[in-house]
Amino acid sequence: MEREVVVQMKNVSKKIGNRTIIDQLSLQVYPGEVYGFLGPNGAGKTMTIRMIVGLISMTEGDVLIHGKSVTNNFEKAIAHVGGVIENPEMYEYLSGYENLVHFARMSPKKVTKQRISQVVKLVGLDGRIQHKVRKYSLGMKQRLGLAQAILHSPSLLILDEPTNGLDPAGIREIRAYIRNVAHQEQMAVFVSSHLLAEMQLMCDRIGIVQNGKLIREEGMNELTKADEEKTIQLQVNRLEDAFQLLNNAFPTADIEIIQDRIIISLRREYLPSCNQVLVQNNFDVYEMAQVQTTLEEKFLEVTEEK
Amino acid sequence: MASFINLLKNEHMKLFKRTGTMVMVAVMLLAVLGAGAVSKFMINPDTQSDWQAELEAENIQFENMLDESNQTSAEQERMQEQLALNNYRLENNKPPVNSETLWGFMIDASNLTGLAALFTIVAASSILAHEFSQGTIKLLLIRPVKRSKILQSKYVTAMMFSGMLLVLIFAFSFLTGSLLFGFHGIDQSHLVYQEGRVVEQPMFMYVAQLFSLNSVEVLMMGTFAFMVAAIFKNSSFAIGISIFLLFTGPQLVQVLNDYGWAKYILFAHTNLQQYIHGTPIVEGMTFSFSISMLVIYFVIFLTLAWISFEKRDVTA
Repeated sequence: MEREVVVQMKNVSKKIGNRTIIDQLSLQVYPGEVYGFLGPNGAGKTMTIRMIVGLISMTEGDVLIHGKSVTNNFEKAIAHVGGVIENPEMYEYLSGYENLVHFARMSPKKVTKQRISQVVKLVGLDGRIQHKVRKYSLGMKQRLGLAQAILHSPSLLILDEPTNGLDPAGIREIRAYIRNVAHQEQMAVFVSSHLLAEMQLMCDRIGIVQNGKLIREEGMNELTKADEEKTIQLQVNRLEDAFQLLNNAFPTADIEIIQDRIIISLRREYLPSCNQVLVQNNFDVYEMAQVQTTLEEKFLEVTEEK
Repeated sequence: MASFINLLKNEHMKLFKRTGTMVMVAVMLLAVLGAGAVSKFMINPDTQSDWQAELEAENIQFENMLDESNQTSAEQERMQEQLALNNYRLENNKPPVNSETLWGFMIDASNLTGLAALFTIVAASSILAHEFSQGTIKLLLIRPVKRSKILQSKYVTAMMFSGMLLVLIFAFSFLTGSLLFGFHGIDQSHLVYQEGRVVEQPMFMYVAQLFSLNSVEVLMMGTFAFMVAAIFKNSSFAIGISIFLLFTGPQLVQVLNDYGWAKYILFAHTNLQQYIHGTPIVEGMTFSFSISMLVIYFVIFLTLAWISFEKRDVTA
């Protein structure tokens, strides 16, 4: 048997008139995994999410959630899903608590009062839950949105831009929470975001979407560490001389001086000899460190290729 | 799957937690009180003086007009009927209902159902359109509940609210009437002309009949507004067009009266009181024809609402 799949998108397309918005998109999300869905604005992230939860119909293809089709077996399929689609819009004239009661009543499983207060505590709204949502800050609405999504303990959590409007502490909490539910409770989490650095910290696997196509899909580790060539930053005395020396020693490598450091790109096996050359020529090496290729650079690289 | 009762509870909570809803209920009650105060304190009771003389004068007028015989047969029939009723009153000493009695007041108050129609339109439009304008529709539709069931819970809630308004007007006008005018004349009966004879009917039945005939208009306009909101997702538009038609629809039928197809317009049938007072708005219509037309419109409205809601891509 293959690994159990929580979400399976099979060749999903969406056409509006002549325009193809989503083009033959296929992907899988597994239990215990945080899947990042990344792409520039207008690439079709939100459209894809709306098709997964059945808000928008598909022109072609299908989405299966635990093997149940969203198109033909909506109620069974969606029972496993909790989500926040775009902004966490709640009923402003109701209190936070009433909002949760409202959504709890729509759950097929009974959601107990204890469960509601447990979730409220979890998202850190215990002090304000009886207040009207109208008086909430964006961050609080974001937390309430998360609360309604996890109320019925779904096995798939779909979050569209979950950290929007949160302060750094809030972002860290949400991130920790997301990783926690995925890894501890084996929930599958599908996150879209334009905050690339965010995704890097949160996700296990990333799909990059552009113009409605999934153009790349990789594990977090592969995506940032796959390259053979390493970029190294060096801090040495006599910067100019060192630059000349390295330039002669490695004529094919990219070398440049940025502020008080030399940045050099080399294949892994040349790294010891680079160090050796400097030491042999009596340079003092204060620092030799690998520059992380950030997801952001990777992302720009990938999307610009097309 | 979530029970329908739970969905109704949700819709009721959302409806009644909105300030607008309570304002509508309050205005409704104030309107009844206001109508009571006006007939009690503002209108002078000089009409009560001599009802016999008035009816006799009216009869002479009818007889003269009938002699001239330049009216349609329906108008003539109507006058004959009125003559018979007036004569019955004079012979049996049964004065017409005075608006300063409980029943008289309730007959007047039955016209306040127009206000209920207005508020039903507002509630039926916004119960759906607000979910779209607030963006909450997304969270509502990603639950394991069929869209049709959600729409059904909304429609039922809007109509329950409407029914509540009608019952409120009825009960509150009974209360106001009995407090302001007491119970004298409570034993008066309503006279109807049936098959050439004058028949006495319990007045309570008559008042209840007026209210139920009027509630048909409330139901139809509420359903119309619900449909418009389901199709256009916009409550101001749904409210605007429904209220516009509520007030101009009957006039429109008047204007188009000469065309044969005027009797297929919804508004030729929304006022069913035309069959107990006076002649039908388009000649030759019968009560059962009107009921069939209303049923056809009702089914069309709901079908359109359901189809457009179920098929829609939600992008709000």
